[in-house]
Amino acid sequence: MLQLVVRNLTKHPVRTLLTMGSLTVALFLICFLRSLVTTLEAGVEAADSRRLWVQSAVSLFVDLPASYETKIRDVEGVRDVCRWQWFGGYYKERANFFAQFAVNPDMLFDMWPEMEIIDGSKQQFLATKTGCLIGEGLAERYGWKVGDTVPIIGALFPLPGGAPWEFVVGGIYRPKKPSLDRQTLFFQWDYFSETQEALTGEPPAVGVYVLEADAGADVTQVMAGVDRLFENGPQRVQTTTEAEFNRQFVSMVGNVPRLVMFIGTGVFLAILLACINTMMLAAREQTHDIGILKALGFTDRTMFSLLLTQSLVLCGIGGGAGILLALGLEGWFNNALAASTGGFIIKGETIAWAVVAMLAVGLLSGIVPARRAQGLNTVDALRRS
Amino acid sequence: MLVPLTYNLRSLFVRRSSTLLTVFGIGATVAVLAGVLSLRQGFQSLFQEQGRDDIVIFMRPGANSEGESLFNRRTAQRLMKTEPAIAQDENEQPLASQECYVAVRRRKLGGGETNVPVRGVEPMSFKIRGEGIRIIDGRPFQPGADEVIVGAKLVGRIQNCKLGSVIQINTSPLKVVGIFESDGPFDSEIWGDLDRMLNALQRPFPNRVVSTLKAGVDLEALAARLEKDKETPAKVITERDYLASQSGALAGVLGLLGGFLAVVMGTAAVFTATNTMLAAISSRTHEIGVLLASGFRPIPVFLSFMFEALLLGLIGGLIGALLVLPLNGIETGATNFDTFTEVAFAFRVTPGVLMTAIIFALALGLAGGAIPAWRAARMKPIDALRRS
Repeated sequence: MLQLVVRNLTKHPVRTLLTMGSLTVALFLICFLRSLVTTLEAGVEAADSRRLWVQSAVSLFVDLPASYETKIRDVEGVRDVCRWQWFGGYYKERANFFAQFAVNPDMLFDMWPEMEIIDGSKQQFLATKTGCLIGEGLAERYGWKVGDTVPIIGALFPLPGGAPWEFVVGGIYRPKKPSLDRQTLFFQWDYFSETQEALTGEPPAVGVYVLEADAGADVTQVMAGVDRLFENGPQRVQTTTEAEFNRQFVSMVGNVPRLVMFIGTGVFLAILLACINTMMLAAREQTHDIGILKALGFTDRTMFSLLLTQSLVLCGIGGGAGILLALGLEGWFNNALAASTGGFIIKGETIAWAVVAMLAVGLLSGIVPARRAQGLNTVDALRRS
Repeated sequence: MLVPLTYNLRSLFVRRSSTLLTVFGIGATVAVLAGVLSLRQGFQSLFQEQGRDDIVIFMRPGANSEGESLFNRRTAQRLMKTEPAIAQDENEQPLASQECYVAVRRRKLGGGETNVPVRGVEPMSFKIRGEGIRIIDGRPFQPGADEVIVGAKLVGRIQNCKLGSVIQINTSPLKVVGIFESDGPFDSEIWGDLDRMLNALQRPFPNRVVSTLKAGVDLEALAARLEKDKETPAKVITERDYLASQSGALAGVLGLLGGFLAVVMGTAAVFTATNTMLAAISSRTHEIGVLLASGFRPIPVFLSFMFEALLLGLIGGLIGALLVLPLNGIETGATNFDTFTEVAFAFRVTPGVLMTAIIFALALGLAGGAIPAWRAARMKPIDALRRS
């Protein structure tokens, strides 16, 4: 019986291969599109529940006064506060875009335990004022090593004559969770602040304050406490959980996931049609064979399962190849898409969905011809050439 | 002698169920491609076609967007008063205006937050733009008052954007006194008086200066001169070029997504088309034998089957086009990755998009038909006839 399945499938090798090929493409695409969406959302899901982000209530692009730090520190339930400022620079050319932040360097290690130093050390990072810490993604992308000097052009904070800021790599980190980006450069607040003050005569403002709540503190109350502090200005703030903070960036890409879902459905339907088509063609050609088998005494039931198995095997091999292809290319996409989506990771759940989709195509495209084979009259089938 | 085309038409009709399935496969592929392209088209035309060549933008040297740019007020005013290239109005006032720009956090009507640009302008901005900004409801804001006018595209999307509502920015309540339409992306923005907006946003400086140039000014020479200028250094760019530069990232992503999907889905569609044609040919072996035996040369037979494949592609393309046509004009919003703000725009299924889709469908048909047609043409008449 199984031999028959193999025989039938290899009878028209080109056709079988092409059908499998379409399925490979379809399943690959489904894995790819869904992973795009889940990767975008990974930062939200992995967010730390005790880290809270204080940002301007007015705009993502409005800074907060440096004087807020001590006031926030005094709010009950706040254990630590770290300044972040978006530097918005680039390496050599605008296309070489990645995030850079000026931060309080000490806090970084305390408040982000998921940051694992894989080369260099905290001491090396702090040893020189211009020291910086880079994600492993950047080390891979540009080949930077500990001790290298990295020139970054400050588009938002230009130096006279358009000269680049120079940072010395003191360490390379690897995020243990997706709550931390793997292509970020962190540098020291003091260096940033002193350079800016020398240029403009004023110390720079702070982009966001990240605070860590005490282990036992009620996070909601801490957030409300910070917000209340600056209700009457000069800048109102909006304190959110890390998940909420990350979500605002995901929702900015808002319609893309919907578009992706729309496309995924389109792809799936197109491929489904193609498979049903091939299965029916194949079954029609087998009419005579089925007649013979039936005349030999094989039951209707056997005929039904023969055709269904054929379809499932075809879909299993073709679709399986697609899933494997997606898994194989995962690492490559992870690097290629690092700058735009923050990487590319295929979740187990996505693979489960893909397998379900694959079986569904196999069943649906197998059932129509299988039903037909089952109901076929032996004499009629034999009469047909 | 060529094989009569009716032969192919009829045979497509005879096998109508498998023809339909193939055609829908190609149609779905093409519809996805065309859908993404028309989204991109709608976005791009807003930025690239609507930008004006006669309006120029002055920014801080090195800045690539108005968000990055900052002008000290004194520098901005000196530039406006002393730059000889800037045109003047009938009262001999320079046709130039300082503008500030910040994307502010707003709640959407359907829930969730987004970034909406707030622009503070001087009265001259309206003179410079003329009919490019049209108040369709209410009235313009009073200079010096905490009043704003709101782009028409925001009204149905963002909270508190109706005529008469109050928009709260930081500690300042701003009253909505008018709704405006515009050419270009401005009708996704909130406009108010420059000084009141700077005050509300707690900002000291405007971001850019816009102006109309005198006729005949050489823009390149002006740009080169101001780049190095000691008193008023500035980067000069036409509004058209500026807006085009602010749409590259999203347009690029949509283009890539469209291209990637077209290649991947196209591969699957070619496989399907090849399959259908192969099956068609194997079930018509006898017929092909008859054709070859009755004197048709292999090349006409090859062409005949290619024509059949092309026809499959064409019908698929037309179906794909029909599927995306209803999208035309549907308003959607997306975040412009260059400005981080949400812009509203409509899908635009242009003739160009449709042509691309149909050409792609024909290419899919041809690619799918090549192998089967070749097989048919190479059959030996005797063998083919022998097979029943």
